Amino acid sequence: MKKILILLIFIFGNVFALSNYDVAQKSEAVMSGFKDSISKMQMTLINARGQEKVRTMNMKVLEGKDEDKSLMEFLTPADVKGTKFLNYEHVNRDDDQWLYLPALKRVKRIASKNKSGSFMGSEFAYEDLSGFNVKKYKYDGDAEVVTLDGVEMYRTNATPISKYSGYTKLISWADKKTFLIQKIEYYDRKKQLLKTAYFGEYKNFGNVYRIGKITMKNIQNDKTTILIWSDEKIKNGLKKKDFHKRYLKK
Amino acid sequence: MKIFLALFISFTFLFAELELSGHLDVDSQAYLIRADAKHKNSFTLKQTLEFKYEKDDLTAFAKLYAQEDYYDFLSEDEHNERTFARLDELFLKVDYEDDSIQAGKNIKFWGALELRNIVDGFNPKEFRDDMFSKTNKCGVWNASYSHYTESAEITLIVKLNEPDQKMASYPYVYYFFPEFVTYEDKLESSHGVDRPSLYLLYSGTTETEYALDFAFIYEYGYDSQRYFTPDNPLNLALGLPTEFRQNAYIASKFMIYNTLVVDSTLIKLEALYAKVDVDAAVGDYSHVAVGFEHTVENFYKSAGLGLIGEYYNYRTYDGEKYSDLELFETMQNDLFLGLRYSFNDSDDASIVGGVVADFEYDEEVYYFKYDSRLGDSFRVGFDYYYIEPSKDEKTAYALLGRHQRVALNLAYYF
Repeated sequence: MKKILILLIFIFGNVFALSNYDVAQKSEAVMSGFKDSISKMQMTLINARGQEKVRTMNMKVLEGKDEDKSLMEFLTPADVKGTKFLNYEHVNRDDDQWLYLPALKRVKRIASKNKSGSFMGSEFAYEDLSGFNVKKYKYDGDAEVVTLDGVEMYRTNATPISKYSGYTKLISWADKKTFLIQKIEYYDRKKQLLKTAYFGEYKNFGNVYRIGKITMKNIQNDKTTILIWSDEKIKNGLKKKDFHKRYLKK
Repeated sequence: MKIFLALFISFTFLFAELELSGHLDVDSQAYLIRADAKHKNSFTLKQTLEFKYEKDDLTAFAKLYAQEDYYDFLSEDEHNERTFARLDELFLKVDYEDDSIQAGKNIKFWGALELRNIVDGFNPKEFRDDMFSKTNKCGVWNASYSHYTESAEITLIVKLNEPDQKMASYPYVYYFFPEFVTYEDKLESSHGVDRPSLYLLYSGTTETEYALDFAFIYEYGYDSQRYFTPDNPLNLALGLPTEFRQNAYIASKFMIYNTLVVDSTLIKLEALYAKVDVDAAVGDYSHVAVGFEHTVENFYKSAGLGLIGEYYNYRTYDGEKYSDLELFETMQNDLFLGLRYSFNDSDDASIVGGVVADFEYDEEVYYFKYDSRLGDSFRVGFDYYYIEPSKDEKTAYALLGRHQRVALNLAYYF
């Protein structure tokens, strides 16, 4: 009887356990459905000595089925004011990326194969800033239920599929009730812990959540970058046309 | 037409809430090797002011540029005509769903390469500033209509006139002519400076595995290549005072510039062919340049390293007329190899440098530039150039002479 009970617990435990993939899919689902977004973004760069530098930009994002489009316009510092960055995300091929340099009136193509490059001297790589998409990762096994700051979380493992990713592994903590990601650890190509991102200040827009703040701490160089989104509006009726290259020069 | 446009745009600015930005630069250069009797240094104060107004689909934009030269300011004897104020841009643009209309004075950029953009000839270059500057171009009056599809654009541009191209005077180091030659800045044109030039541009991006940014331009009108003629060729031969003029002629010109993305490498092509309408001095010519830029991300910590290679070839097709030497073309058979080191730090610091080898006339140019932000409002730039000109031929660099310079630029942005 005791053996049967243990066997039943084991079977049911496994039936109701969520796989890493399931958790990732649910985390993606709660953040999906915003259609498009317009916001302001503040990026604070903090060096190892605690000195801060602040950058601000306007952001527009168009949600695609798997492939988002985004347009970023830098507002400060003054020497980069008017610089724009346009990104068309792709799952099956390299992203299309262009940079508009207002001093030269030049639209410059960027080679985007390697996604591990630093974004504007911050601790964020280009791949950290693209929309979360489960198709970009490989998942094995079940998620673990753990406690983080007294709250129950699913801890999941993901391996980037692209060989051009700067990471070998990502470990994520997602809230057990909401499936919102709270923390991610990034492991570099030497399989050493490189960075930890803390996610917070989620905003609930009805049936979709948007991130309000990410703090990225680089464990290896002691630098930190904080991204804060404000004045965000979703479902503005933006179309593909609003992300045409013509808007780089506008 | 130009006066009407200027008044109309100025009227819009008067009643609009303007967005103002700009920068103030202090530019100092020391010429360590130069032709005798030319200035051994230059100090220039530069001011750029931009005004922008946006409301719904309407954009109004104006850009003013002014520079004050140290020798012009202090000394009458050493005056080198480098002090001026210039209206670079003043235009209105209206964007519709799939179209846009623009009219006024503005600056455009065409090209893909790093060292020199051979198809970027819409705006004349400023001859009164640093000859290595890529940003100092003069605005031109024009009107354009663009139609956009999902991944492409077709634009018709009518350039309304050809501006005079002013030049600094001797003893400024980048005044190429000898002391006894003066420059008359009134442009000599075959059909009058107000004859319109027509441009048709088609550009876009392919959605292929290796994406291609392409642009085709057809022009019928005044060519951006110019030539100079003396008022008295005999005086020129004897070394007596002579006046030089710039000449503009009509041509049909086909231009392309493309960038192909292959993994972490950009492969670039710029090319043009000009069929010149009847002109006594200039015949048909072509200019082709191919290049690549390969980027190694995280080369050292977060810094990226770009490896750059470009080859330029220029040919004229009428042996009886001006050749590349008389046309002061510097990139006839030239190879450029360079490096770009981007620190990827919070100050956006970078170093770009390289060597240009001219196989036609055995000339060499070496340079490197460092650029970084200082605090939140300043940028500092440092550059070094060394030019070894041809010993046997009268190239543009041979007129300049062996040249070495260092420069420091400090800019305040607001």
